[in-house]
Amino acid sequence: MSNELEILQRALQREKAARKQAEQILEGKSRELYLLTEELKDVNAKLEEGLTEKTSELQGVFGNLVDAYVLMDISGNVIKMNHSAKELFGYDINQEKLNIVKLIYKEDYEYAMTSFQELIVKGSFSDYQARVYTKHKGVRTVHINASLIHNKKNQPIAAQGIVRDITEELEQKQIFEEQKKQLSAIVENSSLGIALTQFGKIIQTNKAFQNLLGYTQNELLQKEVKNISLKDEYVESENNMQKMNDGEIDNFSVNKRYVKQDGTVFWAKTNVAAVRNEDGSIKYQVALIEDITEQLEFEKQRDRLVKNLEKSNKELNDYAHIVSHDLKSPLRSMNALLTWLKEDYVDVLDDNAHNSLNMLLKKVDKMDHLISGILKYSSIDKVDHPKQNIALRDIVTDIIDVIHIPDHIAIKIITELPVMVGDKFSLQQLFQNLLNNAIKYNDKEQGLITVSCKEKNEFWEFAIADNGVGISKKYHDKIFQIFQTLDNQGESTGVGLSIVKKIIDLYEGTIWLESTDGVGTTFYFTLKKEIK
Amino acid sequence: MGLTFLLIEDDEIERLKFARVLQKNNYNHTLTEAENGEKALEILENNKELPDLVFLDLNMPKMNGLEFLKILKSNPTLRYTPVVILSTSNNHNDLKESYEIGIAGYIVKPLKYEDYAHKIKCLIEYWSVNELIKR
Repeated sequence: MSNELEILQRALQREKAARKQAEQILEGKSRELYLLTEELKDVNAKLEEGLTEKTSELQGVFGNLVDAYVLMDISGNVIKMNHSAKELFGYDINQEKLNIVKLIYKEDYEYAMTSFQELIVKGSFSDYQARVYTKHKGVRTVHINASLIHNKKNQPIAAQGIVRDITEELEQKQIFEEQKKQLSAIVENSSLGIALTQFGKIIQTNKAFQNLLGYTQNELLQKEVKNISLKDEYVESENNMQKMNDGEIDNFSVNKRYVKQDGTVFWAKTNVAAVRNEDGSIKYQVALIEDITEQLEFEKQRDRLVKNLEKSNKELNDYAHIVSHDLKSPLRSMNALLTWLKEDYVDVLDDNAHNSLNMLLKKVDKMDHLISGILKYSSIDKVDHPKQNIALRDIVTDIIDVIHIPDHIAIKIITELPVMVGDKFSLQQLFQNLLNNAIKYNDKEQGLITVSCKEKNEFWEFAIADNGVGISKKYHDKIFQIFQTLDNQGESTGVGLSIVKKIIDLYEGTIWLESTDGVGTTFYFTLKKEIK
Repeated sequence: MGLTFLLIEDDEIERLKFARVLQKNNYNHTLTEAENGEKALEILENNKELPDLVFLDLNMPKMNGLEFLKILKSNPTLRYTPVVILSTSNNHNDLKESYEIGIAGYIVKPLKYEDYAHKIKCLIEYWSVNELIKR
């Protein structure tokens, strides 16, 4: 029994010891657990803090995103939009539901669907570019990058997209492209050869330039300006280039020669302008060249013609002068000899002979008048009198004082006469010839001649009216031609009115007349107020 | 007192005209004639006596009037002899050049002999009452 007890007691003691040990372990574990829990609590708190931070950070990014951000469920219902997205599409999902399909532009629908498939399969797409409808702004072109959002089980639950409105950007690009096209159309179709050079190297040319030089664009790009220039002239251009590099000049123009692909040379007017960087250094030079070979030839020809003309004009003037004087000499001799015949043989000659001699003398006289006429006519525009202010009233008054006016004829100035710039000699001649005619061909008992003037734009219009014999309409043009006279027996040479016409031409005016046979004539003429 | 004239004129009839005026007016002046400038210079150089007055035509073949006048006026002894131009024209340039070189008168030959005779008569009468340098 006692053994049994002993065994029992030992067993009990062992049990006690084991229990104590277990209690001790438990206690230890409990403490560990507690510490662990505390630690976890701490970590958790920290995590929560972090999460809040991240969430609000994200919220900030999301709200402040310049691009539109759209979050939608798999069926395309929009769950979230940032401010930019609201602005862009014009919808507010807090007010109304929005499905993305509603936004897709009709013609881009297929493309949209394909892209959506790509999103589902690959999990994302980028650089999607299409048109969308918006609530207020109409159709916009947008650029979208999108990705799927999955749950823990890796099932897609939503999709998010960053949307950028590129409508204006595209428009700008289009305008830019258009302008570029226009500009290049101008450059390519310009008849001027245009080349862009950089430090003497050709880096761009237009068609006209290629045509002028006979090289292709590619050939030209291998060349430098000096390769297509003549050496001597290139040096001269170089000086100008240096000045341009130094900023002394911005452009220059030279006439120089270019060597074509076939080795021939042509003259071209060349304008070179600098295109500068912001710091003022030269970026490019733009050269515009124009073939002036023909032009130079024309100029040469013109110079030759002008010189010839000057020469023949002078010859003509000299000729008229010399011929007139040489013709006058024999007339003087004839007059002398005829006079002497009459004087020396006064007793021998009968009336008939005297008459003949007198008629001969008259013809000699007439001939002399004609020659004087030619001389006057040809020297009208030759005499280079200085231009001055001429008071025409004084001119006309002087003429009235000087010329012979028969008693039965009166000359009246009935309006103001202007003061005009001109040469006194020619103006005097003009009025004197017209007044002389008016006096000479007056057949009335009381002759009346009036002089008047009125202003007509840049001209003065004068009228000299008489009550003389009148001039038939058929002669109105003829009378201004040299040596044309309506006077059959008188001394008229037919030079007076042609001189009048020539003087009026000099003053860039015109002359015409109104006349009634037997009643009178009015000569009208204009003189330009200011002639060059 | 008679004057001595030198007439330089290429036209024969012009020379006749001048002589006739002297003759018709019964002047006792002495007239020497030269057909052109060269001949006139010869006469002037060979004669000890200088003429009192030279009548000079402008338009002449070979040496023309103005050329003769220049030579005359650059000669230290001949330059004091008065020269009257007998010209066909009143051309401004001729007139101006003549006076610049130095002339005593300028007559434009008229068409009519009567007018010519009158002008020459006036001239001669004018010079007849003038004091002239005698050498």
